[in-house]
Amino acid sequence: MTEPILEVRGLRRSYEGGRIQALRGVDLSIAAGEYIAISGPSGSGKSTLLQLLGGLDSPSEGEILLHGKPLGKAIGLDTYRAQHVGFIFQAFHLMPTLTALENVQVPMLGCTFNGFNRLKRAEELLGVMGIDYCVRQYPNQLSAGERQRVAIARALANNPEILLADEPTGNLDSENTARIMDVLHKLHTERGMTMIIVTHENEIAQAAPRHIRMRDGRIA
Amino acid sequence: MAAQLTFARFAWKNLWRRRLRTLLTLGGIGMGIGAFVGLVGFSRSFAREWLRMYQSGGTDIAVVQQTFLNTSVDEAAGDTLRKLPTVARATPMILNLMDLTPEVNALAYGWKADSFEFDGLKIVAGRKFEDGKPEALLGELIASSLHKQPGDTIEIQGEKFTVCGIYHGGSALEAGAVILPIDQMQKLGSLQGKVTAFHVRLKPPPPGESPEHFLARAQHEIETALPGLRAVPAAERASNNQLVVMAQAVAWGTSSIALLIGILGIANTMAMSVFERTREIGILRALGWGQWRVICLIQAEAAVLGLAGGMVGLAAGWAALRVLARLPQTETIVSASFSWMLPIEALAIAVLAGLAAGALPAWRGAHLSPVEALRHD
Repeated sequence: MTEPILEVRGLRRSYEGGRIQALRGVDLSIAAGEYIAISGPSGSGKSTLLQLLGGLDSPSEGEILLHGKPLGKAIGLDTYRAQHVGFIFQAFHLMPTLTALENVQVPMLGCTFNGFNRLKRAEELLGVMGIDYCVRQYPNQLSAGERQRVAIARALANNPEILLADEPTGNLDSENTARIMDVLHKLHTERGMTMIIVTHENEIAQAAPRHIRMRDGRIA
Repeated sequence: MAAQLTFARFAWKNLWRRRLRTLLTLGGIGMGIGAFVGLVGFSRSFAREWLRMYQSGGTDIAVVQQTFLNTSVDEAAGDTLRKLPTVARATPMILNLMDLTPEVNALAYGWKADSFEFDGLKIVAGRKFEDGKPEALLGELIASSLHKQPGDTIEIQGEKFTVCGIYHGGSALEAGAVILPIDQMQKLGSLQGKVTAFHVRLKPPPPGESPEHFLARAQHEIETALPGLRAVPAAERASNNQLVVMAQAVAWGTSSIALLIGILGIANTMAMSVFERTREIGILRALGWGQWRVICLIQAEAAVLGLAGGMVGLAAGWAALRVLARLPQTETIVSASFSWMLPIEALAIAVLAGLAAGALPAWRGAHLSPVEALRHD
């Protein structure tokens, strides 16, 4: 059995003094290199779970362990987000003032990469995504599919172990959806990355080797 | 060649996105720095001209009563001064600001005809005055402003004086001044027997004694011999006399207000910018940017604003100084020369002002919850 990369124990997240219970006790073990799809109806807690797994938020109760070490205690959340996870969003969230090439360099600013290496790595990642022809273009000059591929390149910038994607194809047409899913599958198979995708599309969820369904803040 | 992304580039691109607001903010901080450069530059230039005047006249020490503009030193004190072993020469002088015409006022000095301070001047037309006669020597600048030549008359406080000569002085303060016989100045002000100061030229220091030690010893000797009077080294007197201190206070006060307005402008711009970019800050946090990196980016933007505004202000202030040095109203007290320290100070103040103004918005931006920030519209 592969060593778990992430372990979730008794995870709860409530808001407004407990009035809203987004997660009501989630236990989960994710092995290194696993490909997981999380699906569920609106308000089921899937995005909250992804935010907690990505270190964007802290749980009200319970803990998340990375390689057995608790997040927020043994590993700082900033460090975790900078070095261990990459995020892909439904709305791409690219910086509008930066070119595609500059957007990919953003996570590396202030990290161990020097300026030249940052640039080389960003060019290489855009090449891997097959969009090296649009390095100098701004997000508003790119198609939705190109924007998402820039966002994936950005998520890979710091060479994370885990890739988290929140509805990565939610804003794409079927042709671009297929292309993006193909990119994600390749990253999983060729690089052995741990992949956690939140989706409401059944086809994508069913294609994942492991499919977790959420309902009312719990794993169904 | 593809561009490397740096903090400065990222910061500049964020600022350039709202060009009009950025330019207006640059104008605000530029105004503050321009006021600083113009006013503080003016006051320093004023102080420098005083020092140049003392240096060209060969004055080492000025002996004064507590206040600078009081003509209350007993003229008889000169006899005591001249007998002191450290003193080579001591000459009395009176200083006053006088209206020469309704539009032109000028510094007026009362000197003795044999004053050693004439060593620093060059008579370019006419001759030196004689003690006891209603004669006046005009500096080149004031002579040109008043269109006076040797032989013309000039009216000072209701008394007629003959222009006996025109001189070239080492400093703008001298070039724009009038020098009268000291007895005539005393008569004009009903100040018989009183002078503003004694200017003292010291003997050379004896072998083995440093000039600084000799100067301090001379000061002590003079103050012991003339209780109630102060012996002030020329450099200190140049920078600490009441006129210069007053000019500096006005300069700092006015430019501080202008700087404050500039700082508020940057603070407003940065606060707006952070608010508008809440979601982007959330994205940066999601991409692993820690609070310090967010603070660095916002502060880099504020510092770039400050620096760019500082450069605008520097150019404006420098231009203002050039204009002041040519205006008839101010040419006599300010020179167009520019101390190299002033631009450095101005730019440092501009950057610090930017950082101070950006501190609160940066702190707020850095402490946004990534999840809340990502949800922000």
